Amino acid sequence: MNKLSQNKILIPLVILLSIILGIYLAISSIDSYIQNNELSIKNGNWIVNPNMDLKDNYQRAYIARIGVFALDEKEALYFLASKDSDGEILSSNFDYQIIGKPPKGRYWSYTLYGEDYFLVKNDNDIHAINKENFDINKPIIISSKRKEVNWLPSGNEKEFYINLRIYNPEKDVYENLESIKLPQIKRIEL
Amino acid sequence: MKKLILYLLLSFIVSYGSYNITILMIPNIIYKVFHYKIVNNQNVQDNELKHFNIPNDQSRDVVMPNPDFLYSTSFYDLSNGDLNLKGKMPDSTYWSVSFYKPNTVNWFVKNDNEFIDNNLDMKITLSNSDQENIIVSPVKKGFMIIRILVEKKDNKSIDYYKALQKSITLN
Repeated sequence: MNKLSQNKILIPLVILLSIILGIYLAISSIDSYIQNNELSIKNGNWIVNPNMDLKDNYQRAYIARIGVFALDEKEALYFLASKDSDGEILSSNFDYQIIGKPPKGRYWSYTLYGEDYFLVKNDNDIHAINKENFDINKPIIISSKRKEVNWLPSGNEKEFYINLRIYNPEKDVYENLESIKLPQIKRIEL
Repeated sequence: MKKLILYLLLSFIVSYGSYNITILMIPNIIYKVFHYKIVNNQNVQDNELKHFNIPNDQSRDVVMPNPDFLYSTSFYDLSNGDLNLKGKMPDSTYWSVSFYKPNTVNWFVKNDNEFIDNNLDMKITLSNSDQENIIVSPVKKGFMIIRILVEKKDNKSIDYYKALQKSITLN
């Protein structure tokens, strides 16, 4: 094979492999950001992404992956927890209690999502505790075992996420995301 | 040796370009996949409103759906002219209208507190205007979501809000 023929094969091959490598590295880097919450604001065991109208391509790719079609921070805040207050991964093998009030806003809700970011499967069709269906006299319990009130079924999930949504949060909330007091997620024995 | 360096340089430049284009295009790809799912799985065309039920654990169209919301969505296309969004909305619960670019950036949102009353009456256009009910889209094609909060999940409440949801039209 002469040099010209070698180049004819090698150059397109190098280009093709390099394109594949670039795509792979890009997807891996966004996955890594998701795994390590590197592009989020952290507050205790919660993370939040306030700036939905983004100029930064990484932030936009990151948010498109974990919360596509979300709203901006004045309309809604989405606090996400994958760990309890002691830093342990949330799992339906354990029971949890949410301690403390959500930040002030017009409406709040707690929702559980599985590792795939879809609603946790449960036979009771209970997917959220919100401002209206919440019994103020009882704690919010996350458990795979049925409870009478304020119960968020955790189904059968090796790992899950808790999403705390605040609609129309007060200005003091969205301007102080790193320091506002957020509820704690405590592992409990039932 | 010289050839190897040239190949490595070529590989670096192409990988770098491919990496940055992928990062830039991830939101657009996610948008296109969602568009494909809606058109093929839900049999909904552009400029057609789809009224969804309250999401449950079988819902797989969008990650992290809010199970307290009734969603109505449309992929809008202003190529053939303006669109009118109309409907009778709830008067005592949160609802909002939001618009997104194909790169998934939310460029407009307005909720019930910002509307004069519970009559939804908007024109979506590409032509400049500063009228209250005219929404000037920065893109010819995009996505809109109408969210209605259903705080209580009893059948009566759900039926009431669904009837309102069905009143929303896009023409």
